[in-house]
Amino acid sequence: MTMKNRNKGQMRVIETLLASFIVVLALAFASIFATTPASQQYEATELEKIGYNVLHDLDDQGLLPRFVYNAEWSNLRSALRVTLPSDVYFNLTVYNLNSVRLDDGSVLYGEPLTLATSKHIASITYGLAGYATQIYPPRAVYEPRIVVLQLTRG
Amino acid sequence: MIAIMIVSLGALLHVAVTYYKHEPWDEYLTLMGNVELGSCRVVWLSLANYTNSPVPDNTILSTNLQKWQNNLSKIYPGHGIALNYTTAEGSRNAYGTTLSYSQGLSRTWQVPSSTSAVNASFSLNVNSIGLTGYKFTSVAFLNLKIISASTSTNEITVTVKRENLDPVSGLKKENFKVEGQSITKVAQNYDSQYVIVYIIQCSGTFSLPVTVKVWDTRGILVVARYP
Repeated sequence: MTMKNRNKGQMRVIETLLASFIVVLALAFASIFATTPASQQYEATELEKIGYNVLHDLDDQGLLPRFVYNAEWSNLRSALRVTLPSDVYFNLTVYNLNSVRLDDGSVLYGEPLTLATSKHIASITYGLAGYATQIYPPRAVYEPRIVVLQLTRG
Repeated sequence: MIAIMIVSLGALLHVAVTYYKHEPWDEYLTLMGNVELGSCRVVWLSLANYTNSPVPDNTILSTNLQKWQNNLSKIYPGHGIALNYTTAEGSRNAYGTTLSYSQGLSRTWQVPSSTSAVNASFSLNVNSIGLTGYKFTSVAFLNLKIISASTSTNEITVTVKRENLDPVSGLKKENFKVEGQSITKVAQNYDSQYVIVYIIQCSGTFSLPVTVKVWDTRGILVVARYP
């Protein structure tokens, strides 16, 4: 009789252990798929991070200065389309230090209406110092550019 | 058991709460990364300018850094960014070679192993987040070594190294110039000692000493002379 009760007690402990692990695993699993809060503050920050990272990566590889200083706007548009998520719309503008716009307005992707009316637009400002040509005759110029990238979800 | 559950839930809640606390830092790290990369570009540009000028201007780095210092407030208004810099002066060791710097710039040319280099240290403050004294150093280094020059085959073998003495790969015919000669071909070969060597094939016969110029992908020039 005592043995039977003892076995029953051990089973309860094992059951509780298993149940606890299932609960913890379920919580951990659910947190992976949890949707992010749709607050304006949060959305802008997330898009800002994406935008900063994309521009920084392109700059680090030497592509952003090349595209901007050689006015390769279609290449810049393609690079952004490849690196940004497909549901992110963008509009990139380039200015000099006197706030004169230098791009031709073609570095954009997405519905113009969505970009114009979206409540959650992230704006990223990125600075470029200058550009040096790689081959002879060499040319290295200090001419800062201000790159403004606007992002929104489509 | 209950204790395990409480601890697990506590850990999950802690992550959820502190996520928002740490979130702004990620953004500012990228901003700092941008300022750092931009400052490095100014340093490289200045060295490219310095090495390509017929009359080298050793104030070019200080002039450009001064401009960059002022322009940062226009590029990032409202962040309260303040960048301070110091340039290397006098003799310094750079990857096993003693170089003489003047206002952060150095060039030791017209020898078989020639070098162009720049060295500047920065301290960044971002008032909007209370960050002070973020330090970083920007160094650019380019070395061209003429290993051999054969007047019988009209071939010059060179090696090009950059920071950390990493061999520079992918250079083409347009990146090299041999004084008084036109180049017909530049071949990049593997070498057990130098890792990467370039064999420059000249169109005509040359006589020694021979002078070779190289521009890397940043536009930095080095001029070496052999022997």
